[in-house]
Amino acid sequence: MSRHLAPALLAAFAVVAPASAAADARVFACEPEWAALASEIGGDNVTVYSATHGRQDAHYIRARPSLIAQVRRADIVFCSGAELEVGWLPVLMERGARPGVQPGQPGHLMAADHVEVMERPERIDRSLGDIHPTGNPHVHLDPGNIARLAVELAGRLARVDPANEEAYRSRLADFEARWGAATKRWRARAEGLRGTKVVVHHAAWVYLLGWTDLDLVARLERISGVPPTASHLRDVVERVRTTGAAAILLAPHDPVDAADWLAERTGVPVVELPFTVGGQDEAGDLFALFDVTLALLEKARDRS
Amino acid sequence: MSIIARFLPLVVLPMIALLAAAPADAQSAGQPTAAELARQIQEIKRDYESRIRALEGQLSNLEKKSQAEEKKTPAATPAKKATADNAFNPAIGIVFDGRYASFSADEWSRIPGFAVGHEAERAPEGLSLGHSEVTASGNIDDKFRGALTLGLHAHPGEATEVELEEAYVQTLPGAGLLEGMRVKAGRALWTFGYLNEQHAHGDDFADRPLPYRAFLNNAFNDDGVEVSVVLPTEVYAELGGGLFRGDDTPLFGGSDNGLRARSLYARVGWDMGRDAAVRVGGYLLDGKSRNRGGGGHAHANGHGHEDEHADEHAHEDEHDHEDDHANGEEEHEHEDDHANGEEHEDEHGEDFASFFSEGMFTGNTRLYGIDVRFTVAPTGNARESELILQGEYFWRKEDGTYTLMEEEDGEEHTENLKTDSIAHGWYIQGVYKPAPRWRIGARYARLSPPDDAEIGHNPYAFAAMVDWSNSEFGRVRLQYNHEALDGDEEDNQIMLQYVMSLGAHAAHSF
Repeated sequence: MSRHLAPALLAAFAVVAPASAAADARVFACEPEWAALASEIGGDNVTVYSATHGRQDAHYIRARPSLIAQVRRADIVFCSGAELEVGWLPVLMERGARPGVQPGQPGHLMAADHVEVMERPERIDRSLGDIHPTGNPHVHLDPGNIARLAVELAGRLARVDPANEEAYRSRLADFEARWGAATKRWRARAEGLRGTKVVVHHAAWVYLLGWTDLDLVARLERISGVPPTASHLRDVVERVRTTGAAAILLAPHDPVDAADWLAERTGVPVVELPFTVGGQDEAGDLFALFDVTLALLEKARDRS
Repeated sequence: MSIIARFLPLVVLPMIALLAAAPADAQSAGQPTAAELARQIQEIKRDYESRIRALEGQLSNLEKKSQAEEKKTPAATPAKKATADNAFNPAIGIVFDGRYASFSADEWSRIPGFAVGHEAERAPEGLSLGHSEVTASGNIDDKFRGALTLGLHAHPGEATEVELEEAYVQTLPGAGLLEGMRVKAGRALWTFGYLNEQHAHGDDFADRPLPYRAFLNNAFNDDGVEVSVVLPTEVYAELGGGLFRGDDTPLFGGSDNGLRARSLYARVGWDMGRDAAVRVGGYLLDGKSRNRGGGGHAHANGHGHEDEHADEHAHEDEHDHEDDHANGEEEHEHEDDHANGEEHEDEHGEDFASFFSEGMFTGNTRLYGIDVRFTVAPTGNARESELILQGEYFWRKEDGTYTLMEEEDGEEHTENLKTDSIAHGWYIQGVYKPAPRWRIGARYARLSPPDDAEIGHNPYAFAAMVDWSNSEFGRVRLQYNHEALDGDEEDNQIMLQYVMSLGAHAAHSF
């Protein structure tokens, strides 16, 4: 009986399969920021699915069955790249087995491939923790990078869904106008933040520090992905006491214990930034993400 | 048919394209005609002296230049070359597994009624190396990927056993099959239940649960081929099936034509809210065995030995007995040529059990499995805190004849037991991560031995563990087992284990 079951099921599948070609493009975004960008550029012509939500750490995600099902039907897989998702995306790509979204295809869009990646390590060794040999993948906190990816995404959408090319182009133009104006405002506000001293938990903030010219005093995680050790924390306390700092910056998914410990000893307040779209309720889209982030930094600066 | 119709163009068209491209390529390379060659030779002849002079000048310049450059950067060239060579090396991963174990029972009771293999036995007492693993994997080309895993089993006082755990090739998504389809061939940890596909070092406990030990000798990794398809549905749905050699004891064995087992499975998975997910699957393994060897008890030195025995001694006797059986005798009848009734009556129950645990089996085996796995991470970050609940149920039916060899008064003779028996087993486990580095877990497993074995009690095992992970790549675990596998014989076990991995690390599946 089982001998006949397999061909029957496969045949049934062969009939069902073509129905999966939906009218619009489906974008599978690994992180909420890319999902938000896809919604900006794609509008009603795309169905966007975000693999993670704003309070999740995209380093460590389970390759849940539902994610495989989403990749199976995606026209574009849009992720940070630079090995941020190395622990789970390869499984989704392999099991989802969607040819159009594999590396090298138009449907495979890795943000880090299209911007200047910071912190490329000189030495690669697991004793340095969970490092990314291809550089720091958290590229989205620089508005310039978002602008570059908007252009790239519009091009990719036009390739996988040529019927709606016009719509993508016009939405890109609209987004570029709004984003350009907003970026100008943000850069002006960043001038006022220059030199503000901050402590961060994980290396996720380098792109923000880069364009805002914030001054990094210390990192709680000496080694990426490995919780901070007591001796390292003692060093950090010393450094913060001598130099002073306006804030200890945390992402919503960062553990609070080390930051609280440091705050208790140094009096420097812990400031949780949204980090990504949806990381805080107020950061509902990409514009709000930068507005909220700058407002929180300004508040911290004014307090210190 | 529709499958072939869909599939054929995908294979044939690229082939045609390739064939068409090949001659075109050769033409465009432009074989010069004889006349052209002659003209070129004439041209060279005309000014070769001046050309040679010019070339000599250039050459001496280049030599000077390169000598100067070599002095500046002596190691630059070889270093570059080494990187390029490495780029095509497969990804290598090594898993270290060592443990300390202490047991209350001096000798392991075994699992009566089951032919437990070497792998699934109790670990050695004291300090020992567990199961080291070396994996090499990589893409072969744009269509295929290959992986090879060697398991190194160090048994104290014995030579280290090298087991080819996996050696498979599989199609990549760009291979031109149906979308969502994957074909895997070779030897692999095939799809059956939850744990079978996983490498043991990724397990949540130091040992596999009883059903895996009893029915599969920890894992089913026969030689074969498997096809799986992920459907383009909102809910995750996967169908698959395979054909296997049928030579992976204790499930199947002694295969002679090499295609005696097959599998089918289907599973679905979905999210429950934002931070919880579940997967449920149903599986079937079905195959024929011919003189499948027994467990490690009687012939601890390896499987080949058992098979030889089968050929030398079993065949002739066996046929006689089976004929007798066919003449309407009861299935349960315990036959014995060298009848010595009194001795046997005392240990009758034990005798039936030993057929199953030590005898050779010829007949059909069908194993059904069901698995359920549920994960929930309260913050969405499994790395911080997570609860995993998991359970599997195996149901096995064996229909055939067990043959047991016995030695009596220096003479070997065989006894047969015809059986149509059902055995089943299950386990349920929960693992909770209260803090990023710590996990605690508990597991309960139970077996129902083959009904014809008339064992009269069901083996069970309880395990509790706590483990600590410094990073994703290093873990230390303390585990307590309470096993009652053979009636009153209880065994309390303490195990301290480390599992560390080095190098390439396959992404974890759900």
